Amino acid sequence: MRAPAPAYATNLNDATVDAINAALGGAVMEARVRVGEVQLFAERDSIVETLTTLRDTPGLEYQQLMEMAGVDYPERPERFEVVYCLLSLTRNHRIQVHVSTDEVKPVPSVTGVWPVAGWLEREIYDMYGVLFAGNADLRRILTDYGFRGHPQRKDFPLTGFVELRYSEEEKRVVYQPVSLAQDFRTFDFTSPWEGAEYVLPGDEKGMLPQAKGAQTPLTADQIAKAGAAQSVATPPAASSEAYGKKDAQSTAETGAGKPGPDGGEPKPANPDVVPTKGGGQNQ
Amino acid sequence: MSDTVVTDTATIDPYVDQLLGKTDAADPTIGDVTIQNYTINFGPQHPAAHGVLRLVMELDGEIIERIDPHVGLLHRGTEKLIEYKTYAQAIPYFDRLDYCSPACMEHSFVLAIEKLLDLEVPIRAQYLRVFFAELTRISNHMLNLGSHVMDVGAMTPNLWMFEIREDCYGFLERATGARMHHNYFRPGGVHQDVPLKLLTDIADWLDTRLPRLFEDAISLVADNRIFKQRNVDIATVSRDDAIAWGFSGPMIRAAGIPWDIRKSQPYDVYDRMDFEIPVGTRGDCYDRFMVRVEEVRQSARIMKQCLAEMPEGPIASLDRKVVPPKRAEMKQSMEALIHHFKLYTEGYHVPAGEVYVATESPKGEFGVFLVADGTNKPYRCKIRPTAFSHLQAMDFMSRGHMLADTTAILGAMDIVFGECDR
Amino acid sequence: MMMNEGHSGPVELQRSAGAGAVVPPDQGFFDSLNGELTDKGFLVTSAEDLFQWARTGSLWWMTFGLACCAVEMIHVNMPRYDLERFGAAPRASPRQSDVMIVAGTLCNKMAPALRKVYDQMSEPKYVISMGSCANGGGYYHYSYSVVRGCDRIVPVDIYVPGCPPTAEALLYGIMQLQRKIRRSGSIER
Repeated sequence: MRAPAPAYATNLNDATVDAINAALGGAVMEARVRVGEVQLFAERDSIVETLTTLRDTPGLEYQQLMEMAGVDYPERPERFEVVYCLLSLTRNHRIQVHVSTDEVKPVPSVTGVWPVAGWLEREIYDMYGVLFAGNADLRRILTDYGFRGHPQRKDFPLTGFVELRYSEEEKRVVYQPVSLAQDFRTFDFTSPWEGAEYVLPGDEKGMLPQAKGAQTPLTADQIAKAGAAQSVATPPAASSEAYGKKDAQSTAETGAGKPGPDGGEPKPANPDVVPTKGGGQNQ
Repeated sequence: MSDTVVTDTATIDPYVDQLLGKTDAADPTIGDVTIQNYTINFGPQHPAAHGVLRLVMELDGEIIERIDPHVGLLHRGTEKLIEYKTYAQAIPYFDRLDYCSPACMEHSFVLAIEKLLDLEVPIRAQYLRVFFAELTRISNHMLNLGSHVMDVGAMTPNLWMFEIREDCYGFLERATGARMHHNYFRPGGVHQDVPLKLLTDIADWLDTRLPRLFEDAISLVADNRIFKQRNVDIATVSRDDAIAWGFSGPMIRAAGIPWDIRKSQPYDVYDRMDFEIPVGTRGDCYDRFMVRVEEVRQSARIMKQCLAEMPEGPIASLDRKVVPPKRAEMKQSMEALIHHFKLYTEGYHVPAGEVYVATESPKGEFGVFLVADGTNKPYRCKIRPTAFSHLQAMDFMSRGHMLADTTAILGAMDIVFGECDR
Repeated sequence: MMMNEGHSGPVELQRSAGAGAVVPPDQGFFDSLNGELTDKGFLVTSAEDLFQWARTGSLWWMTFGLACCAVEMIHVNMPRYDLERFGAAPRASPRQSDVMIVAGTLCNKMAPALRKVYDQMSEPKYVISMGSCANGGGYYHYSYSVVRGCDRIVPVDIYVPGCPPTAEALLYGIMQLQRKIRRSGSIER
């Protein structure tokens, strides 16, 4: 580890993983070390027992619950993850305990183990809608009174759905649907050739079949197929004739862009434009 | 006469009551209306609320029975906004979390990014970070100590401490360009080097002006009888309570636990620093106040060590895939131009991983739980505010105390709502 | 050394064109004023001028500190900048205050309280919006929980830009408000 991050007793990491496996056994799905931190994936239903064991077992002694974080992974079957960050004051060690859940399955509350969990669970409920069974005071905490939705979910828009203004008619502040003068400028910096999944404006033209030899994102296989389909109608010309004038007529032949009867209508005279005497510019 | 009165009121004839001058024997209060507990609302607009705190208090007379703090009145959606910004664009949000100690907020986030990137930081940059984090700590404690003193009735110390704060702001402005929101700590180092004159000026200031103003101000209150009456034995917290309620920083140290992340889990060059950790003995508001007072002196000590030991050298990592080149270099080198453009538009990609990095902010443990998914924006950035656990303990800490003690308890907690509500 | 010497007090002074130079008070003006007062025992002015003098010289402001800007708002009161020499004193009660400085991000949860405090202030009342968050949402413009500008809730007289504005900037904003009050007649005829 070259970074100057807080240096707690990381040399205890491996010993901690062993001690956890010994103390908890089947209640732990996985205990591993990542980026110098011990991560513990626990069963949701037995989380209270797991954390109590982590707190009370000699050799683990995680006395303090410092933080509870919710994370939303919408693509997972159980989309939410609740992370308990524990701190051992005596062993000078930290650990993360991960538990997964979804919108309806409640996580047992750990307010009985650490009273500080009360507000932390309220916050996760507020932000994600994760339910905590046994939390006596599971109200919203950060968002407005009467707020709808759970703002930290990935499918909740950044700007929300409503905004506030003072209504002169009602003599109070009222909510109204969001209307932004300028949209949030979000840029996706993924390179188009490194797996961007959207179509940029103009890129849909690239999806059309193109002539052979054109700069094309088509694979050689697709070109072979397109060529095979074409060859049914007309046999391919010699390669040197691809640049000939048989299929792409020059403007000299068609007369496009020329004023006069054969090149379309001449431009109507603009009354505001006074023709200059000289022929060139900057006279 | 009085020894003949039977205290068991149920057996006494109402006639006797009348003779004794009691109008309502069953209820000691006068009149027919029974006085019940009542609920008052403190804030959200209150000068002693240190921002936008709303307390719903249940009182029995002037005794506090229960407190329900309502937070979130400054909930700005920082964590959600960070998910939509690149790592470099997200750093200024940390300045605005705890606006009394902006540099210390940046510290946690920057260290978390560096931990994921496994990025080496030049030693001078580490010294500069420690140096300015400690300057910020002094500035933060000046605000807190001053307003705590003011909340319990003294005026003058606050005026002097704000003079120190103005000096700190002047120094920080000279180093970073901004009085308050510096955006100075960057992954890989700091934004720019400091001029030598600034360091000598700060050295002078540490020797002369800071001790004079600070010790004068503290001498007015530290042994003051009124100040002690307002703070000693108010809201005592035992060691066990402090641990169970997730206390950190001066709050846990006042309870008698010598726990300081700078000492036990040193980051940057704190392991080279020689400083003491003050601890309290009773765990009351006065101890919290005095712990902060001593921390200011220790911070000054750390700053002097930084000034003495700070080596010359680069102030940011030379890894051009993370740290953008300076403007002068960008004007001359094509490669630097490309790096500059890429880093200020797309930014750098942080390898996937989950870290919880906590540092000792002036208010306690300020942590960042950062989930990176390999892109240039954080997937999730959970901020661990110091105030959340402290404010939650407000209920049991102030139970049984008088209404007027709430301001002392709040002042000694050192709460700033920018980080509490995020 | 200090700005005190340029302090104009409630009466308008002739300012010299030399910017930055410390302008000494016009002693002749004071002498003539003093002479008039001792000679006649009264001064003649219009009621409008008198009211404006009183209003601009005692702008008691409501401390509506919400976020970061509140710290700069405290700084402007402290000895270095000493706002009180302009007659502007902080008040904790809306009933006693003339101007509300909205200092910081106004969030949805706080907005009803802001409006209630504004409604409780007595006329004439002014609002200074301090900092980019109060001006228009600023850095938090696109957040789901932030009011995009406090002028959606209360009418604003002066906008002070900055994130946060320095104490000088707020001081200048207050002086601009004094100028605005002086310019606009406030008596209903």
